[in-house]
Amino acid sequence: MDEFEEILQDFLIEAFELIEQLDQDLVELETRPDDLDLLNRIFRVAHTIKGASSFLNFDVLTHLTHHMENLLNMARHGDLVIDANVMDIILESIDLMKALLVRIRDRGEDSGLDVSGCVARLDAVANGDAAPEPVVEIAVIQEAVAMQVDEEEPDYSTMSDAQVEAEIERLLAQKQAEVAAKRSGSNEAVKSEEAEPDYANMSDAQVEAEIERLLLEKQAQDAAKRAQKNQNTAPQASVAPSTPAVVTPPVPQPKVEVVPVAKAAPATPAPRRSEPKEEGDSKGGGVEQTIRVDVKRLDHLMNLIGELVLGKNRLIKINDDVEERYEGEAFLEELNQVVSIVSLVTTDLQIAVMKTRMLPIGKVFNKFPRMIRDLSRELNKKIELEIAGEETELDKSIVEEIGDPLVHIIRNSCDHGIEVGEVRLAAGKSEVGTIQLKAYHEGNHIVIQIIDDGKGLDADMLKQKSIEKGIITEKEADAMSEKEAFGLIFRPGFSTAAQVTSVSGRGVGMDVVKTNIEKLNGMIDIDSEVGHGTSMKLKIPLTLAIIQALLVGVQEEYYAIPLASVLETVRISKDEIYTVENRSVMRLRDEVLSLVHIGDIFEVERVFDNSEHAYVVVLGLAESKIGLIVDTLIGQEEIVIKSLGEYLKGIEGIAGATIRGDGGVTLIVDVAALMQMAKSVKSTVGSENGETKKLGAKNSSSDYCVMVVDDSKTDRTIMRKSLEPLGITLVEAVDGVEALNILKQGDHFFDAMLIDIEMPRMDGYTLASEIKKYNKYKNLPLIAVTSRAGKADRMRGVESGMIEYITKPYSPEYLMNVVKRNIKFNEGL
Amino acid sequence: MSEKLQQIINRQNQALVGDDQKVDEVIQLVGFIVGEEEFSIPILSIQEIIKPIGWTRVPQIPSYILGVFNLRGSVIPLIDLRARFGLPLQKHTDETRVIVMKNGDDVAGFVIDRLTEAIRMPKRDIGPAPDTISESETMIDGVGKQADRIVTILKVHKLLERNF
Repeated sequence: MDEFEEILQDFLIEAFELIEQLDQDLVELETRPDDLDLLNRIFRVAHTIKGASSFLNFDVLTHLTHHMENLLNMARHGDLVIDANVMDIILESIDLMKALLVRIRDRGEDSGLDVSGCVARLDAVANGDAAPEPVVEIAVIQEAVAMQVDEEEPDYSTMSDAQVEAEIERLLAQKQAEVAAKRSGSNEAVKSEEAEPDYANMSDAQVEAEIERLLLEKQAQDAAKRAQKNQNTAPQASVAPSTPAVVTPPVPQPKVEVVPVAKAAPATPAPRRSEPKEEGDSKGGGVEQTIRVDVKRLDHLMNLIGELVLGKNRLIKINDDVEERYEGEAFLEELNQVVSIVSLVTTDLQIAVMKTRMLPIGKVFNKFPRMIRDLSRELNKKIELEIAGEETELDKSIVEEIGDPLVHIIRNSCDHGIEVGEVRLAAGKSEVGTIQLKAYHEGNHIVIQIIDDGKGLDADMLKQKSIEKGIITEKEADAMSEKEAFGLIFRPGFSTAAQVTSVSGRGVGMDVVKTNIEKLNGMIDIDSEVGHGTSMKLKIPLTLAIIQALLVGVQEEYYAIPLASVLETVRISKDEIYTVENRSVMRLRDEVLSLVHIGDIFEVERVFDNSEHAYVVVLGLAESKIGLIVDTLIGQEEIVIKSLGEYLKGIEGIAGATIRGDGGVTLIVDVAALMQMAKSVKSTVGSENGETKKLGAKNSSSDYCVMVVDDSKTDRTIMRKSLEPLGITLVEAVDGVEALNILKQGDHFFDAMLIDIEMPRMDGYTLASEIKKYNKYKNLPLIAVTSRAGKADRMRGVESGMIEYITKPYSPEYLMNVVKRNIKFNEGL
Repeated sequence: MSEKLQQIINRQNQALVGDDQKVDEVIQLVGFIVGEEEFSIPILSIQEIIKPIGWTRVPQIPSYILGVFNLRGSVIPLIDLRARFGLPLQKHTDETRVIVMKNGDDVAGFVIDRLTEAIRMPKRDIGPAPDTISESETMIDGVGKQADRIVTILKVHKLLERNF
């Protein structure tokens, strides 16, 4: 990257940071048009951007900002009163400036946008409304001084050098008197800087005063906000007002910069500290130390922490296993200590890194005062915005996603919620409508609440509209609770606005809200009272990379469900599941909850499942709810989200994968997608039994399959010989481990197993209890064939899940009969 | 300045490519069996070869993708080459291996029946893929002729390409 590119990047970063604060300042300015400090701040933004853009040869941007600055400068010097009209033009020009900056960021050039109209209006305001001619010129010339010779400046290109100089001389004399009167304090001696020779002689004091003032203000802000940034901005700020000839930044050392701030601040016309809002910014007076870090590095750090969390989970699991095996051993305590320290530190580390990624939500909230102002003018309503909790922090990635939904919600509140003044007065409310925007933490979530005191949502009206638009049927409408009816506003295509305005009414916005909030695993809760207003609560998890999850099991598979979306879990018996219009539902207190089996969503093969009970995980996302039937609940675990990679990306219903303590991979459920899928999945909750029978159907003797597990070759042969007459398929395994592997591979569908008890590697009891762990084999008949005939042995056999106990030696007929009975031989033929 | 630099870099690259061609007349392949046939892939596209380990099934994907497995903290897809080539499935044996192939950022594990050997093959012994198969569809990069046998060389990037 060459030098120019680097400077350009710095410029863009700075410019976007500046305009972020700008909107809020401008709106505030309207209420307090004579606040010099605010004006100065706004002026400075225009000024800085102009200076830098001229240096970088962005002529269009320079042209525009030049005229903006011009106007603002007049206001700053009290020569122009800022009223709503002037404000409109200023805002328009700011928007244009933003557009230009975006263009520069994206394409590296600023051509293609027409600024002449805006410039003309800026000038018209400057010339028309404002004061005497000389003042305008002063402003212009001051610009020239500040900006340095801009060849394209039409004002000067027509004049001869002498003329210009004479003019400047005259005006400056006048101006200096003014300036001197206004802020004599800032005339303190300053380092002498070499300005462009033309101006050096006559405008020394003025130029220096200006440079000094701008620098000081800039430093005051920057130093307070981020000492680091100073090194970048100081040179730019100095280049802008003085001249390209001044190459050396006047105050290159951050330390030095801080000193003049303290000295000079009281000297400025409107001391910064008089503003209560500024207190926050300037507290610490430059002592606060921050560094800029590339987001990529933070992401990498977060990934590493993720690995560590996985390692920690694994360590905890191993510790548990070891504890079980070596109960009471002395070294256990030591191990325990180490494990708990590691896990504690990991958690702390994770929180610390998460914190470094946190940004105050104020970054998003900042743009709303401006938006409300524009909207209220456009809609002819009086609306006030109250913001609380803008210092609430949340993850950077979420801050980026949350902006759009909030814009839509607030627009909606302004357009549909708040009534026009007369209606409000008639309803006995204050003429000015209020929208409150609040953010606060609640457990592992951040809650953003948008409350308006408008006309509220009318459930019946919403239903009516939805029926008209064909979004729901009348039958559905009748069954809807009030809350569900409120949820209708999130359906695509829904709008209550009688006509489409430029603000809203297309029925898209709230759909966007829902999608974005779902993407963040958030929930939306609407509360409304007709005539009193609406409150919308967005509940969003604090971070996205490492989450708490509920692990559930279905057959032999496990899935992780983000805990943020889990409302509750219930254990129900199969009779509590009803079928309504081909879908399964259940009653949950006073609600009807639609159900879907996780196995139906993820195509899990269900071989046997005769358990009388099922677990229902109640999932809530945005405003909808669904019950997910699972076989088992494993528990809660902290998981690290990993992507499935390019090859497997975009699988419906799967948000990613995580690695569990045992090293296995567990898939993470994408709750939003799952809810979508649930709508189209055919319910099989009730039809399980039929399927089971079909799978078990036998057409010939060889379809029956029995596994013989015995470590003695002789014994296996005896069993084989005994069962040969039946003509059934026999599979042999030499011990428990092999038997289990054969079962897992699923090449055969076994009707029964003959198991020896005494075997190397894994004995019969262990094998039996291992097999019974699998849902699939819950009903697989296990027959012990052993020489151990003691009562205790039999008991153990029953405990581990054996259903028959054959003692060696046995007659071939006896064995055959037992097997026949257990595999229901020929019953199905 | 930067243009000049670019030119120099280009020239150097060209020189390097030239060198490569001289040295690279022999390419190294790793041979393996899937079904009845012997295939091979360039050794440089192999990240590692491991014994089969447990995997997790992933729903809604073609059946030749067995699922995903954990390779030292990365979640990687596991593809059964028998199924990929339309051959009947076979139980894993002691000789079954998983070849982890990579092409840029794309990584996947491929289940093969057994490994044969590392093959050094002069480039001139490699013929093109049979032209009965259309160029864009085929997974075959070329056919290597050795004294007693023919080895099919596969396109790794094609194997790693998502085609569903």
